[in-house]
Amino acid sequence: MRHRLLALAAGTALLATTACGGGSQDPPSSEGGDELTQLTAGVIPIVDVAPVYLGVQEGIFEEHGIDLALETSAGGAAIVPGVVSGEFDLGFSNVVSLIVAREQGLPLATLTNGATSTGEQGADFGGVFVAEGSDIESAADLEGTTVAINTLSNIGDTTVRNSVRVAGGDPADIDFIELPFPDMPAALETGQVDAVWAVEPFGTVIRQAGGQQITSNFVDTDPDLSVAAYFTSEQRLAEDPELFDSLTAALQESLTYAEDNPDAVREVLTTYTEIDQSVVDELVLPRFPAEIDRDSVQALADLMLEDGLIDAEADLDTLIR
Amino acid sequence: MTKTDTTDAGPPPGAPAPRGRTRSGLGRALLGAAGIAAFLTLWEAVPRLGLVSDRYLPPATEVLGVLAQRATTPGFWAAVGDTLHGWALGLAIAFAAAVVLGFTLGALPRVRAFTTSTVDFLRPIPSVALIPLAVLLYGTDIRSTLLLVVYACFWLIYIQVLYGVADVDPVAEQTARSYGLGRLARIRYVVWPTTLPYLMTGLRLAAAVALILSITAQLIIGTPGIGQEIAIAQSSNAVAYVYALIVATGILGVLINMGVRVLERRVLRWHTSVRGEATA
Repeated sequence: MRHRLLALAAGTALLATTACGGGSQDPPSSEGGDELTQLTAGVIPIVDVAPVYLGVQEGIFEEHGIDLALETSAGGAAIVPGVVSGEFDLGFSNVVSLIVAREQGLPLATLTNGATSTGEQGADFGGVFVAEGSDIESAADLEGTTVAINTLSNIGDTTVRNSVRVAGGDPADIDFIELPFPDMPAALETGQVDAVWAVEPFGTVIRQAGGQQITSNFVDTDPDLSVAAYFTSEQRLAEDPELFDSLTAALQESLTYAEDNPDAVREVLTTYTEIDQSVVDELVLPRFPAEIDRDSVQALADLMLEDGLIDAEADLDTLIR
Repeated sequence: MTKTDTTDAGPPPGAPAPRGRTRSGLGRALLGAAGIAAFLTLWEAVPRLGLVSDRYLPPATEVLGVLAQRATTPGFWAAVGDTLHGWALGLAIAFAAAVVLGFTLGALPRVRAFTTSTVDFLRPIPSVALIPLAVLLYGTDIRSTLLLVVYACFWLIYIQVLYGVADVDPVAEQTARSYGLGRLARIRYVVWPTTLPYLMTGLRLAAAVALILSITAQLIIGTPGIGQEIAIAQSSNAVAYVYALIVATGILGVLINMGVRVLERRVLRWHTSVRGEATA
């Protein structure tokens, strides 16, 4: 009964959103030359989104007629629903979540690449870490261990399982447990888990505590793996294709700027995160190519199918614009 | 009543007033200060002695130092302001809605009986369970915070108002009737004074819950405020700042509680529980 009431409430609420979503959010479509179109992006306050912060700071979005507001959503929980409901005009998410969302029927489409693996084994911005003195030395040793990842059935366990397979091990009896990234260094140090899959800045925090990256699961999947992407909803895209062309161009320019100016990336990090300077100086930055590496996403989608995250072949043609 | 009674927390209304309050009040304040000092010493010692790594629990002095330093930055106060904004607005909306609906339905027993089952279904739903709905409706807007705060606080106050309205002394009500007081006059002179202590209890509970939910919304959804700052600091591994923010929310909670109690004492200064006279 309570569920039915809730469902009813949710249904009414949904109707309400769609009803008001149309009118109020509509930006003044580039009439005069100088009028900036206001757009809102849902991002996670992490290293990977530095290019959009840089783009805003350097006025790249303004040059393309866009006044971009960045809204941070800590865990990213609000981003996909926010984009679907029209609260956000674009969002940032890892590609596994996007492929799953797409399979569940959410009309999402990517705009540009977000962050890409460095392609360097042992020195990627995300990888599997063990504590100092651990006898786990390679991905194959992970068999039968406990590995912490931030979200089950997502990019972490999918790519780590692949790394173990690539190294000749059997990932079936790895015990994956869910743990937020900020808790990983402590869990590793106290021996609660044997290994963690962590991304920056926690990779650097672990390294500074004596831990090391034993395998780079993104690199094992594809050295040019597009890990995350900027995306929007098909509906928003169809409403104003020209606006989204400008937005895509601005995003690509920002990504290229970030790729060419790693020092500026490190500097902008201190404006929207609280990462300690000693960590900022040492952390491994992702690469920021403007285009999604389609083959790498295909490789990831194949792994997802193999692991049962999706039931059918991923439809990348509709997802990747 | 002495002045110290309005500033410290004091016993809850209804508790008998102890004798020799000034002396024991001072003693209690000293004990309280000693308690805090002991707690801070323990907090300082645990990481210093290596019982817990100071990377995960920085010593008290470091955390308070970070808090003091942050308290000089406008960003910190903007977060505090956002939190208080969501708290106050949510509480005000819940209060207004609960008072209006509570008095209306309290006066209409048939409508009240008609809605009781629905209220009893909706009331136990934890506000945090509405987070997905809030996200869907309002994203990271302040309205997400308001949805959670208003939902949780409304029931707390509403139920208290209903109890209060039901507690009206039938003799007083009959007396008012026989003196020819109209409906509005009876609400003003009979129902309202009876309900007020209940209403204040509801407000006090709701004030604390509103702060909890406003921080929760910021932490989980990412609406602006202290909670969001905590989330950002956490995902940046800024451990000392995380604790500093937690201390800040604690201070905020204490201040809010003190404020509501002062208000309670002022509003109910005529009431036996506050006047300190034994109820007959």
